[in-house]
Amino acid sequence: MTPLSLDQPWGRGFNAKHDHRYVEIEALPNTTFLPRGLGRSYGDVCVNDGASLLHTFRRDRLISFDITSGIIECEAGASLADIAQVALQQGWFLPVTPGTRFVTLGGAIANDVHGKNHHSAGTFGRFVRSMTLRRTDGTHALQLNDALFKATVGGLGLTGLIDSAKLQLTRVPGPGIAQSSMLFGRNDPFSSIDQYLAMESASSDWTYTVGWIDTMHHNLRGVLFRGKHCEGPPDWCAPIPAKLAMPLDAPKWLLGNWSAKLFNAAYFRSQALKTATQSTLPLWPFFYPLDAVTAWNRAYGQRGFVQYQFVVPKANARDSIVHILKHLRESRVASYLAVIKSFGDIASPGLMSFPMSGVTVTLDIAGPGDRERRALDRADAMVADVGGRVYPAKDARMSSVMFQKFFPQWRELEAMRDPMISSSFWRRVTEQNSPPNREHA
Amino acid sequence: MNVVVIGATSAVAQSAVRLWAAKHYSLTLFGRNAGELERIAADARVRGAVEVTVHAGEITEFSYIQSSMKTLATPQIALIAHGSSSDSERADDDATYLAQELNTNFNSAVLWTQSIAAKMATAREGCIAVISSVAGDRGRYSNHVYGAAKAGLSAFCSGLRARASHYGVHVVTVKPGFIDTPMTAHIEKKGALWASADQVASGIVKAIEKRRDVVYLPSFWALIMLVIQHVPERIFKRIKF
Repeated sequence: MTPLSLDQPWGRGFNAKHDHRYVEIEALPNTTFLPRGLGRSYGDVCVNDGASLLHTFRRDRLISFDITSGIIECEAGASLADIAQVALQQGWFLPVTPGTRFVTLGGAIANDVHGKNHHSAGTFGRFVRSMTLRRTDGTHALQLNDALFKATVGGLGLTGLIDSAKLQLTRVPGPGIAQSSMLFGRNDPFSSIDQYLAMESASSDWTYTVGWIDTMHHNLRGVLFRGKHCEGPPDWCAPIPAKLAMPLDAPKWLLGNWSAKLFNAAYFRSQALKTATQSTLPLWPFFYPLDAVTAWNRAYGQRGFVQYQFVVPKANARDSIVHILKHLRESRVASYLAVIKSFGDIASPGLMSFPMSGVTVTLDIAGPGDRERRALDRADAMVADVGGRVYPAKDARMSSVMFQKFFPQWRELEAMRDPMISSSFWRRVTEQNSPPNREHA
Repeated sequence: MNVVVIGATSAVAQSAVRLWAAKHYSLTLFGRNAGELERIAADARVRGAVEVTVHAGEITEFSYIQSSMKTLATPQIALIAHGSSSDSERADDDATYLAQELNTNFNSAVLWTQSIAAKMATAREGCIAVISSVAGDRGRYSNHVYGAAKAGLSAFCSGLRARASHYGVHVVTVKPGFIDTPMTAHIEKKGALWASADQVASGIVKAIEKRRDVVYLPSFWALIMLVIQHVPERIFKRIKF
């Protein structure tokens, strides 16, 4: 597995300058560096402008797999794609998976990723049994209760280079997913969200739930998708390789409020017209629909995009979400793809883990200009007011003031950070005097 | 299916090993770095290889090759993948280095290929893929030693292919272009000509299955090398590349 770009994050938009180092060739660099896997983080947590990147994607070997207990040990550059494929052949699967399989084990730990089963499983970090961490002060074998273990889960790669880790997989009956989808949407946005949350909580026997939501529609309509593992033919164990690739950057004129509205309306209509709402499919397109198109990030044009993911506490979640989405819509912030999901209350071992008991919403925003950035800054404040937070792994723009409000525990991570490791993100949100918005390419 | 890989720690060989492991083949891996070989073997086992054995040793030395062949069971597939990117500047005035590079890229590769082909000929089946290079198609300013060794290797393979075909044994000459591997990590700008080790490895596995004779990987290199081979020497000798 090779990253598409070594200098840009997945959301693009940055033109960073890096000195590239490769972990399979040398020891830890003696300059300021940042460990980096497959570069799928949307924002600058995977960027280290003006310093070194230590690439781990070639240290990707699987070390051992106990098919009775489902514990797999891998070098941290191993991709979740490889792990999932090997696991499926023995009736196991990733305990938690994000929306792309092209992330490394180390990256999944460092961002403490979550998936459509957060309500029943919690975050990825909960399934890490042990790991080896290389720091400039030596190599550490980390166990569950170590302070450094907790800081490394969701630690954005700052505590050291994750060298290898042991992961507890989950038993599955086969490589299939039984999926069902249901439309939601009432005559006012509050009832629509209420309806979604009610449908979601009535789905407790489904392992995976996620809602697609049309944030461009004033009444907030959408589709709830539910899935659970089921049997399937053996050839479903291997992922379908991407047959399509985005050949060029979408032009700027194509990416506006009108096209976002049109896209969302068309998607809703296509879902509403579906006659069958129950189906069985291979798990790959269920978990990783966008992996079918190589370089899909080019669809957002040269200016790239930001992904804005926030979570608000369960109490008054409905009102908070409606107000924030209304504010963004009235500020003409166009979002092509938005999802909504309730997080469960299973705690993560991670010190800086993002998920918390509540409801999360994610929006894709193409090439944000000043207007969009001001609107998102305002949205940050609304999230902070109700005690929520914004996801650092996807962020490229939040102010240091807001970040420190969302994650007051950042000082503990700073204390355990390897002094030789830093990232553009970390400097942006912890150096008090830095401007709230970094310069965009 | 039994596969033998010489130079198994090279990036392309590692990628090929993974593809064969996923097909549940048995693998015998030769290389110099014992620790790396063990890690590659563990990875192959987890990915589905039936049986993996490793042999660490001086794979470019005649005596080592000879003693290894005594115990090696006849494989159905072999990949000769070891090599060294010889430094032309250094070879200019260091004859020991020159001899050593020629031995790594030519002599030892020929010895492995010939000895394994002999075993396969007795069994009257088998396929050997030998990693040569586009560099062997014409000697260039910047890699005259490497190019010469690979040119010799390509010539040897075409001759051996003719001889071995009478015994039901097939030889594939693999000519990769630029590959993005640890060996070339120091080169900053990598354009469209660069392929990943995974791409080249999957080309090799396919070429073996289809019993191809000579493959350029990726295939556009056939066209590039056709042009390069037809530049008049009068002009070619002035180009420093």
